[in-house]
Amino acid sequence: MGKASIIGTNLTIGYTKGKVQKEILTGLDFELLEGEMCCLLGPNGVGKSTLVKAILGQLKPFKGEVLLRGKSINTYSNEMLAKELSVVLTEPFLPGNMTVGQLVAMGRIPHTSWTGKLEDTDREVIQNALSATKIEYLRDERLSEISDGQRQKALIARALAQDGKVMVLDEPTAHLDLVNRYEIMHLLREISKSQGKSILVVTHDLEIALETADRFWLLNCGMPLISGLPEDLVITGQINQLLPGENFRFSVEKGRIESKIGSLKFDVSGPGEYTAWVSKALEKAGIKELPEPIEVSKDPFLVNYAGKEFLSLEEFILAL
Amino acid sequence: MSCIFINNSMKKSSPILLLSAALILLLFSFLLNVSLGSVTISPGDILSGIFTGDWTKASREQIILNYRFPKALVAILAGIGLSISGLQMQTFFRNPLAGPFVLGISSGAGLGVAILMLAGSAFGLATFGGAINPWAIAIAGTLGASLVLLTVSLAAWKVKDSMTLLIVGLMFGSAVSAIISVLSYFSGAEALKLFTIWSMGSLGGLVWDQVWVLGLVITIGIIPVIASVKSYNGMLLGESYAKSMGINPDRLRWLMILSTGLLAGSITAFCGPIAFIGIAVPHLARMVWKTSDHRILFPATALIGASLLLLCDAVGQLPGSAQTLPINAVTSLVGAPIVISLVLRKNFSKEF
Repeated sequence: MGKASIIGTNLTIGYTKGKVQKEILTGLDFELLEGEMCCLLGPNGVGKSTLVKAILGQLKPFKGEVLLRGKSINTYSNEMLAKELSVVLTEPFLPGNMTVGQLVAMGRIPHTSWTGKLEDTDREVIQNALSATKIEYLRDERLSEISDGQRQKALIARALAQDGKVMVLDEPTAHLDLVNRYEIMHLLREISKSQGKSILVVTHDLEIALETADRFWLLNCGMPLISGLPEDLVITGQINQLLPGENFRFSVEKGRIESKIGSLKFDVSGPGEYTAWVSKALEKAGIKELPEPIEVSKDPFLVNYAGKEFLSLEEFILAL
Repeated sequence: MSCIFINNSMKKSSPILLLSAALILLLFSFLLNVSLGSVTISPGDILSGIFTGDWTKASREQIILNYRFPKALVAILAGIGLSISGLQMQTFFRNPLAGPFVLGISSGAGLGVAILMLAGSAFGLATFGGAINPWAIAIAGTLGASLVLLTVSLAAWKVKDSMTLLIVGLMFGSAVSAIISVLSYFSGAEALKLFTIWSMGSLGGLVWDQVWVLGLVITIGIIPVIASVKSYNGMLLGESYAKSMGINPDRLRWLMILSTGLLAGSITAFCGPIAFIGIAVPHLARMVWKTSDHRILFPATALIGASLLLLCDAVGQLPGSAQTLPINAVTSLVGAPIVISLVLRKNFSKEF
């Protein structure tokens, strides 16, 4: 793999309140590689935003340091940092009468002279950012008149136009519908590959992150940061760190989170892809066990139970 | 008002074209302002008088050169200064209701003038006998505004958050107004009338020397604005984004305090408080130019602000009378309906 663009070594961060230093995260070690898309996952309040602030250089660590391309991030000036690192934040404030093109052009602010005049190279970068995020057709639309998903893409294009090696996105898929979430995350993956950028995404969308991320960073209370390939973390069960309670676990075979109480046994036979859904429906209906085996058939879908046939699961459960 | 029609008829007009239109509007307002008054002098007479030196009557030369020209120039300077201060405040605080006076500048100037005019009579000391030198008023206003601004700056140095600064500024303004109320309560009727008239604002009554001083201060006050045009654009997405784009919000905050202090402070000291222009003109400019780019908005607000104040002053000239309405009342009376109608017609909050 490529070089590391961000390295954290033995990082301890937190906030100073009066004279008391309140440590939130201690002893973190991590690396973000070039051309890699990394997802930072963890429950609310565990300190993800604090870690992001430290990576953005807005928070001075108590111990250890964050290196951006080999240099401590706190030695960068604001202007230099802006050329290396760009962000997409959760802040919802956007001026409504700005066009998408103008928003993306703002990404060139660190590169232009004091008047902010765009040169030919700037225009080219803006054009590339618009086409990489597939929103060229929105260039002249106003921000108040586009959808949330389109706005998020425009913000990503702005970050891209800033032309740094590293992009940090704080929950870019919050408030978006399912299709847009997939689109945005796949888009980010594409960008990391085609432009060789390091992309760090803070997200709660475990399933989409599994689909798209090269690397996971898992944060949990009182634990060191776990970094690894998503698949490794699934296989070793470390992914369950995200689910601290007793009630849920990550199902390796189904690739999603499920309730632990759901390990009830029904004797279901039939096509593999259907049996799981039949058990799920029975479980939700509050049925603990069934004396007889259930048979499911495909084309047409039929449930065969105790000599009776049902056309849908709803009918079947009503008859029980 | 004509800008609205321009806007409707030229949907896709370039910002430069609109700026030229606004410049023409400014020239037109200037001529209108200068020609109206207790005697109406036609713009043709004025132009020929200026360029050829031939005045139809010697008294007209006096009226135009020593009374109406300085007043019109003050209107232009005040319009530019107030609206540019307002735009800075609105962008920096990301608050559509922010104006040039949110940091307590006008209350501070008011305090200085109140002490000059009222304290004498309130404490039973020797009064100025009703006739106060205009320079004394300007100096008192400047001192008062600087004092309050200095205090707010100390707070700004301590607080990191711009919202807190806004609240601190407003609180200071209220506290200072309260002191003025106490002074007014204990002062005599004559002094109180004088102060009340000052607080209604006036563009006239300044001699040429004062106009030059005001012009110089306004020019200096605009320099920090020009230097930080890019930073104001960066602030549009909020402080965190601005920081991530290499902009230093703390530096911008100091430049803004310096600039609005010079602009709004000097205007209030010389003309008294002039309401409404600083808050409304940036909104008008945003609506007409349909942009949030400060490279266009700053010249646009300056042009509209100057024209609007000239027009308001012209409205305040009661026809056939030497009396003029107080400018502070006219700006609000004339301006408020314009803005209300615009706001109701357009989706205002979305455009901010």
